[in-house]
Amino acid sequence: MRPAPLFFALAACCLAAEHQSIIIRNVTVHPVTSPEIEGGSVLIVDGKIAGIGSDIQAPGAQVFDGQGMHLYPGLINAGTNVGLAEISSIRDTVDLDEIGIFNPQLKAEVAFNPTSEHIQIVRAAGITTVLSLPSSGGEEFGSPNATTPMITGQAALMHLDGWTWEEMALKRGAALDLLFPIIPSVPRRQPVTTGTPPRTYPDLEREYKVKLEQLSTFFEDARRYAKATSAGAPDFEPDPKLEAMIPVIEGKRPILVRAAKERAIKDAVEFADKEKVKIIIADPHDLGSTLDLLAKRGIPVVLGQTLSLPLKEDDAYDSQYSLPSQLFKAGVKFCFATFDVEFARNVAFQAAAAVAFDLPQEEALKSVTIRAAEIFGVADQIGSIEKGKVADLILTDGDPLQATTSIKAEFIAGRLVSLESHHTRLYEKWKDRP
Amino acid sequence: MRTAFLLFLLAIGIQAQTLLIRNATVLTVTKGTLQTGCVLVRNGKIAEVGPNVNAPAGATVVDATGKFLSPGLIDCHSHTAVEGSVNEGSVSDSSMVNIADVLDPTDINIYRALAGGLTVSNVLHGSANAIGGQTIVIKLRWGKPAKDLMFAGAKPGIKFALGENPKRQGYPAEFLSSPATQERRFPGTRLGVEDEIREDFTQAKIYQTKWKQYNERLARGEHPIPPRRDLRLEPLVEVLEGKRYVHAHSYRSDEILALIRTADDMGFKIRTFQHVLEGYKVAKEIAAHGAGASTFSDWYGYKYEVIDATPYNAAIMTRKGVVVSLNSDSDELQRHLNWDAAKVVRYGGLTPEEALAMVTINPAKQLGIDDTVGSIEVGKSADLVLYDRDPLSNYSKVLKVWIDGHPYFDRDQDLQDRDKRAARKKELIAKEKAEEDAARKKSETERKDKTTPNAVPPTKEGEL
Amino acid sequence: MKKLRVLLLVLFVPAFLSAEPPTSFAIRDARVITVSGAELSKGTILMKDGIIVDVGPNLTIPADAWVIDGSALTVYPGFINALSTWGIPDLAPAAPAAGQRGTATPTPTPQQPAVTPAPRVHGPEDRPQNNSYQRAADLVKPTDRRLEAIRASGFTSSATFPNQGIFAGQGALVNLAGARGQDMVVAVPIGEEIILRTGGFRSGFPGSLMGVLSYVRQLYSDLDQYQQAKVIYAAHVSGTPRPEYDHYLEGLAEAPRILLPADQAQQIDRMILFARELKRPAVLYGLHEAFLRIDALKQAAMPVLVDLHWPERMREPDPSDIPSLRDLELRANAPAVPSLLAKAGVRFAFYSEGADSAADIKKQLKKAIDAGLSRADAIRALTLSAAEIYGVSDRLGSIDKGKIANLVVTKGDAFEDKTTVEYVFVDGRMFKPSKIPPVTPGGAEKGPN
Repeated sequence: MRPAPLFFALAACCLAAEHQSIIIRNVTVHPVTSPEIEGGSVLIVDGKIAGIGSDIQAPGAQVFDGQGMHLYPGLINAGTNVGLAEISSIRDTVDLDEIGIFNPQLKAEVAFNPTSEHIQIVRAAGITTVLSLPSSGGEEFGSPNATTPMITGQAALMHLDGWTWEEMALKRGAALDLLFPIIPSVPRRQPVTTGTPPRTYPDLEREYKVKLEQLSTFFEDARRYAKATSAGAPDFEPDPKLEAMIPVIEGKRPILVRAAKERAIKDAVEFADKEKVKIIIADPHDLGSTLDLLAKRGIPVVLGQTLSLPLKEDDAYDSQYSLPSQLFKAGVKFCFATFDVEFARNVAFQAAAAVAFDLPQEEALKSVTIRAAEIFGVADQIGSIEKGKVADLILTDGDPLQATTSIKAEFIAGRLVSLESHHTRLYEKWKDRP
Repeated sequence: MRTAFLLFLLAIGIQAQTLLIRNATVLTVTKGTLQTGCVLVRNGKIAEVGPNVNAPAGATVVDATGKFLSPGLIDCHSHTAVEGSVNEGSVSDSSMVNIADVLDPTDINIYRALAGGLTVSNVLHGSANAIGGQTIVIKLRWGKPAKDLMFAGAKPGIKFALGENPKRQGYPAEFLSSPATQERRFPGTRLGVEDEIREDFTQAKIYQTKWKQYNERLARGEHPIPPRRDLRLEPLVEVLEGKRYVHAHSYRSDEILALIRTADDMGFKIRTFQHVLEGYKVAKEIAAHGAGASTFSDWYGYKYEVIDATPYNAAIMTRKGVVVSLNSDSDELQRHLNWDAAKVVRYGGLTPEEALAMVTINPAKQLGIDDTVGSIEVGKSADLVLYDRDPLSNYSKVLKVWIDGHPYFDRDQDLQDRDKRAARKKELIAKEKAEEDAARKKSETERKDKTTPNAVPPTKEGEL
Repeated sequence: MKKLRVLLLVLFVPAFLSAEPPTSFAIRDARVITVSGAELSKGTILMKDGIIVDVGPNLTIPADAWVIDGSALTVYPGFINALSTWGIPDLAPAAPAAGQRGTATPTPTPQQPAVTPAPRVHGPEDRPQNNSYQRAADLVKPTDRRLEAIRASGFTSSATFPNQGIFAGQGALVNLAGARGQDMVVAVPIGEEIILRTGGFRSGFPGSLMGVLSYVRQLYSDLDQYQQAKVIYAAHVSGTPRPEYDHYLEGLAEAPRILLPADQAQQIDRMILFARELKRPAVLYGLHEAFLRIDALKQAAMPVLVDLHWPERMREPDPSDIPSLRDLELRANAPAVPSLLAKAGVRFAFYSEGADSAADIKKQLKKAIDAGLSRADAIRALTLSAAEIYGVSDRLGSIDKGKIANLVVTKGDAFEDKTTVEYVFVDGRMFKPSKIPPVTPGGAEKGPN
């Protein structure tokens, strides 16, 4: 349902004065990290949450009547291409997957288009923050070769409101994006073209080992560079590529490792141990025995689409649906991402599907709010309705993880944002065609 | 003794054929919702629907307290269970090919779809051609051979495609991503797509006339040589005769309108527009023509012609009198059309009843099978899905699925079978390994026993 | 036919009188598996001029006959490969390079210059991929380098077909030896082979499996009309436009049966229905998943050819890649298909397309026997059943008086590991397989390809 015009009357004066205080009254507050408060209020001052409770006094604040509806923290999609891709089939509109195997210095935010249609469309579903990635996907389902990128750049956490990318950037360099090398499936039928030798498993395994070695060498180069930097020799030559690796080496910037299958996950964990770096496993589809490994090491996971087919013919039909609950039961921290742009607005439904298959409902909500914030080190700013945090809030007529629920209003950094988009404008125009 | 035996057989027969689902929330779709209802199934058909139905002797009883029963879901756009490519994109008009010829009932995605409540699929040719191949409607009777999946009595269809997909192979070389191995295929523009369809139907009419004339000459006692049967034009003649439905993949409003006018001119009807993401712009014309619209709930952003896609499409078209269904066009999405249907409540404010209709009675109407499926009504086929919650809830899951009263999916059974399958796999892998080890050992001992080869060449044939 | 044979022999014998050994043989007191009747524990076979003159216990041996003491030997009818390219030299796979195991590595060709796009095929009317008129009988030659080794393993005949395109061509029942190609031919026509080849999305018609099937259907419809047109035209020449000549259809018309591929269960179902639709006598080939369709095959009453190349595990698989249950069941049960067919009374023969070596074939047959096929049924499938399927059982496939003298003489039961082939007779000409194992460059023993 499109938002009622009533809110916009209020919005007009709200938006006019940015440093205005706003008191949202008459809502059931769902802080996520504490029990819900019926008939509650939330006070926003200078874009931050200044108070939550049943009875907050806020003289001078603009009153926003929640009409008995529900207030949740803004949702977080922890892996998208929003801002960097407009129409996936038209390469001119896509800025992903740059040339080069190691590109840690590339930054997703510098090409984040603040007026991409997707921003309005995605936030209309209650998503206030996305992690924007510089690559489109892991190679597990593609055909990697010697030039396949590994380190594609730095991902950035972006608010879905602002005049420029600079204003929208919540955390730049939130993670290093690594597409972990894989051994692709041995082709069933060997190529018919003459001159191409058939690729057997030993061939593919060898290629994989070469890539792992390349990756290790790159990390070693990065460590040597870090040492040289701190030594500060007069003839020291800066290198932006390796410069960008310093926070990674120092453990300050985690590596978001795309690894879909058990072997890749195992190898990635081993790699992280060896290199002494922090990793987050992204888009796993087949955990196998790595569940315990991840739990023991405290390695968090960014889950990809729950709504995806089982990998193998014999896999249980709900193998992907029940991954989140398996992670939960094993004590692995996880959040959700869609790793695309076209269905980025549906991240909440990915979490909801997991509830049907044993994930506790409140965990599902957490996984698209506070857990994502924790995993990317911004839990002090977003992910729940708590005093001191940024006022990223959504007003709904029900559970935001349900498709039947409507998002009625949204605040990003304390500003009421429009829920209009190309989609709603088309609706408004064409529904009245005579 | 014999009587007793016959009675025993009868009892088993009844048990297999009589089913009572008790105390569910019954979502009939067409006749409202029973908060606590019962559905009695006999011989594959719904025999009774009501708040209190007694179980006949020998009936299988399913206690559905707290659960929800809906009609089996129907997907109006599917490419599941097809062996080989779904496209014969090599020619401008591929109406001679038939999906029925390549139906693969062993595709695991049939089972996965069943596990999501799907019971009927409209299996289509792809969108590489302005006029594509013949299409079929199937029931997801997992485990049966291909001929038993065909939906008895459903009219066959044919796929048309408008817009970007059928014109790509006509692009000039500089626009292609990889060099062409063949000459460009007409059409290369939407202008040509419209024309291709007109030309093909013109040829179909000529073919129709040829046969008419042949039959007339035969009747007059002449000895004409029969015309060569053209298996490409015959399905188009069937369209003209109203014996075959047209399902037209389409996106932009201009091409939708153009096809309606072509159909009017050539004298046939379009049964459904598929995808039809700009259908909301020409909903009036679609409704006037009498075509249905089978669309996506909220797809957008994947190519240029979907630039004006909006998830409000289904709601606008519904309010303008078009019968709208939501489809999957995806092995993955077909597993949860119920979760997808819920979206039209958010996008356009349709009611939950209208939402569920989009994946049940509406596609049934579009496929001309609503006399037997699409709702829970007495006399219809017992295609039923039992959910643990309201199917429009994103937290719901499918527990059981029946087709024609026969159980085809049971989550409990599925869970039990997993260990069995895993054990069987383990057994076979171990056996294979043991055989290989034995064979390797054998060839090693053979090699040791062999004398060293010498350089004498083998004797020629025939020498003694 | 027999008179002509004798006449030819008379005409040609003088030219080769000095080189050609005599053609009168007797194998005395051997164990004879006639296949058509009861086994003879001590039988004698008399052959002359390529024909079995007599078979039975205690026969009088003519004075001019070369006598082979069969006391420790077993005689079977020569084995028939029911579908292969044997005898067509161009279709023999390339020899493996020195010291290299595995399938041949094709020689890399230099980079092709950019080609102008090929003209597009418009549909079945353009008759793409159609070699229906090609005849194996015209292509077989005794110089095919595979022949020596397969003869040495007991094969004396093959239903040889060309194998290019979708309508691959017409087969011929050939013997695997002869002075010239035409001498090898035993019977034509025996059938048309259909191969369901697809070109893929960007290729010409047909690119998809459904495209291929529609093409086959259209051609047989065209054939019906073609034949009808000829009949009508012949009866009413005056004033009727003449039907146009179509050499593809002429090729199809000759074939008394069509061979259709069917490996997986759903493909078997499909081809049974397809053959019925085409209203042609059909033979299915492949059949590896037939263990799921034994009843359907029995009801279909269609003869089938079982591919001896059993599905195998990949040579060096990815250790984390576990095969599917379906594949595992296929690999475990395919070798049992012959025994299941035999028990159900479905007529079947064996075939080996042409790439496998004689040693491989022997192993494959042994596997079928180990999986439950009786040796007698195995022999029948390799001999009389194959002959029956191709309509030549009046002259081949068993050891009976008057039949062509194709025999294999072994020491030990056929297909057992220790068994050796002592003699092979093709058209009454004797071959003695070498006992010396062939040497490969590098000194390593030649393993299975």
